[in-house]
Amino acid sequence: MNAPELPKSFERREAELPNPLPRPEGEFEALKKAWEPPGWISFVTAVNNTYVGLWYVATAFLFFILAGILALIMRVQLAAPESDFVSHDLYNQLFTMHGTVMMFLFAVPAVEAASVYLLPNMQAARDLPFPRLSAYAFWAYFVGGLVFFGTIFFGLSPDGGWFMYPPLTSTKYSPAENADWWLLGIGFIEISAIAGAIEIIVGVMKTRAVGMSLDKLPVYSWAMLVFAVMIVIGFPAIILGTLLLEMERAFDWPFFIAERGGDPLLWQHLFWFFGHPEVYIIFLPATGMVSMIVPAMAQTPLVGYRLVVLALIATGFLSFGLWVHHMFATGLPKMSLSFFSAASTAVAVPSGIQVFAWIATIASGRMKLTTPSLFVIGFLFIFTLGGLTGVMVAMAPFDWQAHDSYFVVAHLHYVLIGGMVFPLFAAIYYWVPVASKRALSERLGRWVFGLMFLGVNVTFLPMHITGLIGMPRRVYTYPIGMGWDALNLVSTIGAFMIAAGVAVFLYDMARNFRFAGEDNAGNVWNAGTLEWLPNGNYATRSIPSVVSRDPLWDQPNLSKDVEDGRYYLPGSATGGREALVTSPFDARPQYILQIPGPGWQPVLAAGFTAAFFLLLTVKFVFTAVICGILALGCVIWWLWETDPGPVRPPADIGGGIVVPVYVTGPMNHSWWAMIVLMVVSCMVFTCLIFSYLFLWLVNPGAWPPQDVRLPGWLWPALSAFLYCASAVLIAVASRQLRGEDRRKPRSAPVLIGVSLPLVSAASAVDLWTQWQTGLSPSAHAYGAAVYAIMSLQIFFVLTTLIMGLYTIARWLAGKLDSVRRTTFDNTMLFWYYTVGQGLVGLLVVHGFPRLTGGI
Amino acid sequence: MTGRRTGQVLLTLGGMIAWAVQFTIIYAATSTLCGRGWADATLLGIGVVQFTILSTTLVTLAAAAILLVVSLRAERQGRHQPVSATDSFLCQTSVLINGLSLIVILWHGIPGIILPACA
Repeated sequence: MNAPELPKSFERREAELPNPLPRPEGEFEALKKAWEPPGWISFVTAVNNTYVGLWYVATAFLFFILAGILALIMRVQLAAPESDFVSHDLYNQLFTMHGTVMMFLFAVPAVEAASVYLLPNMQAARDLPFPRLSAYAFWAYFVGGLVFFGTIFFGLSPDGGWFMYPPLTSTKYSPAENADWWLLGIGFIEISAIAGAIEIIVGVMKTRAVGMSLDKLPVYSWAMLVFAVMIVIGFPAIILGTLLLEMERAFDWPFFIAERGGDPLLWQHLFWFFGHPEVYIIFLPATGMVSMIVPAMAQTPLVGYRLVVLALIATGFLSFGLWVHHMFATGLPKMSLSFFSAASTAVAVPSGIQVFAWIATIASGRMKLTTPSLFVIGFLFIFTLGGLTGVMVAMAPFDWQAHDSYFVVAHLHYVLIGGMVFPLFAAIYYWVPVASKRALSERLGRWVFGLMFLGVNVTFLPMHITGLIGMPRRVYTYPIGMGWDALNLVSTIGAFMIAAGVAVFLYDMARNFRFAGEDNAGNVWNAGTLEWLPNGNYATRSIPSVVSRDPLWDQPNLSKDVEDGRYYLPGSATGGREALVTSPFDARPQYILQIPGPGWQPVLAAGFTAAFFLLLTVKFVFTAVICGILALGCVIWWLWETDPGPVRPPADIGGGIVVPVYVTGPMNHSWWAMIVLMVVSCMVFTCLIFSYLFLWLVNPGAWPPQDVRLPGWLWPALSAFLYCASAVLIAVASRQLRGEDRRKPRSAPVLIGVSLPLVSAASAVDLWTQWQTGLSPSAHAYGAAVYAIMSLQIFFVLTTLIMGLYTIARWLAGKLDSVRRTTFDNTMLFWYYTVGQGLVGLLVVHGFPRLTGGI
Repeated sequence: MTGRRTGQVLLTLGGMIAWAVQFTIIYAATSTLCGRGWADATLLGIGVVQFTILSTTLVTLAAAAILLVVSLRAERQGRHQPVSATDSFLCQTSVLINGLSLIVILWHGIPGIILPACA
């Protein structure tokens, strides 16, 4: 189905707006009722982005404070030489938890949380397309994160550093459960981040104001789009890494044990393939925020919009070519290091483009020195200094000198605090008037900025010298007379200045932040973007059409016309919650998306998912499995209410535009989400194949080891045939379901039912074949890699089985037919992916050792 | 997404994709050839590592250059005939990205000329 052509409404004068006045009686009340959050105890089941977004931001900030307290304890310990304020065991846990919590529980969730709140407002969407997914991601993070942090009080926190290098974190050197908390806890929280990323990608591409084509997309939306794509590409590496390390610890599969063909460097590759982009994953949203704040403060459009978009996209790509610069000291060939050195310097170019664009914008307008402006200036200063030391450590010879010293600690804090924390504070001071009845105090804000700016420089500037004169990072104390005493004392004083700044900020929030449902403080900065439109739980009364990137500056009366309901979809066409889905390039209306409302399902599903992972950590396997089953049950309960079908004929949204209330196929938002999920799955699998090839590279002449016999071709060929046969049956089922011939559709569920044993048998045959040869997963890395590929495939086959059975159940319940077939489409896409992955896996496992002939 | 839009996306991101291909090949080839001790082999009179780096760089450079020319043409055409704001934006962005990609690909090829293969 094609998107309806828009009349040239974008240039219409006021008299020609899409919907006339007066609006029908009761229309607005019905809209408000549809979006009302639940009351009392059920309030936790709210899914509106305005509520979930704020809870999310608040929780991320809580973790910022908790991790900050850990940092203060460390600084007290280091303030004087030979101090025994904390033991070395606790110190190891403190620095591990400080890094882990800041990176995984504060930085990524904070920027994701801010976007859950801001993106729909900025794009004039009623909500993100999957609000229950946002709620699930939040509650999983909230429960999992708090339990994970609680381990510090029981001496159970991980203590191997935030990047958890084996062999230090392998069973031999870390036999206790501390490392497992990191591996299962963080691996699980990453899944929550990926759920958020899927939501953001579909949200940016599909739910925008009418006419908000790509050239008019707010820079923040661009930044979040690149951010989310980077999560989709980068996070699977760490998920796989944690899986492999946990499998090694739990089942003795030697991926990282050198004596049995493993290699600890594999972990470093997997970790940093995620870890370095992670820096940009938190930096790009911050730059997106700055690109929104600077024009508002300077009262002039952003200079170099196209160059800034170029910079965001280029940074997204180049940041994946930097990971080995964390491994310069591992003895890799200099030629290899030079590629990463080149990428590390090249990535400074797009970052520089953005900095110059902001400076040019400031220069072309009249910058008001408000608190957000001060934090932006602070960000430019601190981040640029961090960037300069970044260019220094990008040079391998310099890095060899500074590696693992306090110079690196100084560099990374300048980059991360400058590049993320300062923009986040700027953003909070800037956007609080959207969410609160009162803006924050400018006077207190200046104190916050002053204390934090001085504090950061007093803390971390001396650390450059401390590092250059030899102090290694992660030591819990140091002897007198090394020349480090005074510098460390100064750093500690600086850390408490930062804490004082944060304390003043908390006071300001307590004093001035008052949640606003519909009566927010308003457009206090005279900004030009849509989040400053009058809004409520329903977002904006009507969905505006825009003609520029700063519509509030360029379209007089826009706020009033939107509030009066004169633009698109001023009420609820279906009587429930809904959003207007627009085309991804030109933002033309495509269809009305029926959005699910509040429900216990995502809350319970998140709680049980968290319980599953956390109980596994403490080896309560039976209880964990029960929780896993309950989580799955809650997800099915949740999904059962989705895919509502065309509950009414196409609706008129105004301006003569009539759109359907239900579509299927590539235009459908869940089709997009499924494609993104398949990219995530593909990245996990690609990282696993990389791991297989890496282990081959470090095992010359032993791939497979001498005592291993490869299975014959017959069984893998049978397995491949079964996979293909199941895919063909699904294709036939799809055609029959789609076809006009009403006599046949009954065979569709039968075909799915037949495909289920075929796809199961395919993976079972391969597993049985390897088992029959006597291949052991724990004898050598070869066996571990083969069984890892098969295990991943079995997981996908099991998921396919559940999806297939669920699809059949929908059919039996009368919730699936030739029109209402989104559930089937999702199952079909995932099925094809599983079959494709299975075939590639067979080819690698059975073909590669033969191709290389054991060399 | 229509075929035309898919083409526009590929044209816009093509230069960076070419860089990603170059980066993957030269790093994987260097690691494999050095890791397996095959670096002493020669192709057309030069070391196999250098040969792989230079040939990959030339091919991806050519690909990015072609994309740049195509996007420049599209951008120039857009000035003489009415195109949508989205099309115009995508054309200009693809010129910028493909231009930057040329420099980045060249920058990554330089080590192949000046450094020993596996030292």
